[in-house]
Amino acid sequence: MTEPVAALFFTGLLLFMTGVYLLLGVRNLLRIVLAIEVLAKGTTLMLLGAGLFRGAMGLAQSLIVTFIVVETILAAVMLALVVVCQRTNSSLDIRLLSRLKG
Amino acid sequence: MTLLIGCLALLVISVVLLGVFRDLLYAAVALALASVILSIVLFHFGANVAGAFELSVCAGLITVLFVSTVSLTKDSDQKDEARLPALFILPAVALFAGVAYFLVRWLAPSLPAPTAAQTVPFREVFWGLRMTDVLGQISLVLVGVFGLLAILRARSAEGHHD
Repeated sequence: MTEPVAALFFTGLLLFMTGVYLLLGVRNLLRIVLAIEVLAKGTTLMLLGAGLFRGAMGLAQSLIVTFIVVETILAAVMLALVVVCQRTNSSLDIRLLSRLKG
Repeated sequence: MTLLIGCLALLVISVVLLGVFRDLLYAAVALALASVILSIVLFHFGANVAGAFELSVCAGLITVLFVSTVSLTKDSDQKDEARLPALFILPAVALFAGVAYFLVRWLAPSLPAPTAAQTVPFREVFWGLRMTDVLGQISLVLVGVFGLLAILRARSAEGHHD
């Protein structure tokens, strides 16, 4: 494994673990969306590292572009849900979502 | 290599700042900064299309969506947010850095030797080899559009009820 690939994998893993830490530690829905975005950044770095390692940058770019599309759709839908939750509960606390019925 | 290490260090710093900032607007700006740095890394390795996507979509569109949502949900309950994750983020990142270092060192010898570089251009991979992925992406965009329509329609129906 070359140094740039190792650096990319190291940073990707670090961002992924930091994202999980932020995801588990917060209760605000907007901060949860932010933590998922951090996870996505780590995954993108690892995809880039894998493409560099295998020498298939075309394939890695294709996967990264697909992943960015998924990430954007996820963020848009989650942010819309956050707005609806805030209007329903007047709060962004994720614990209040247990009140939802139906 | 120096540019890469500098960019990756800045990326980690911006993520740490994202966790530390109490104001969600500043956190959104830190996320946009992380996206810009990631796109620089992508450009550095010649992944120009992915870099342009990251810069325009993640640093641009998602930040705009985020700032709009923050302004729509302003002054809700940021005061009640637990501060423990922000206080312990630096020790946690140091711990995660150690774990990531050992994982990379442990994984490196077990990985198979890389094959010869495949110089298939992105255009051929995207429109030829992974054509079905493009169809999947189009359906994903439709899923997002219909999902948003369903969520917003539910809200307006609720408004009519009241």
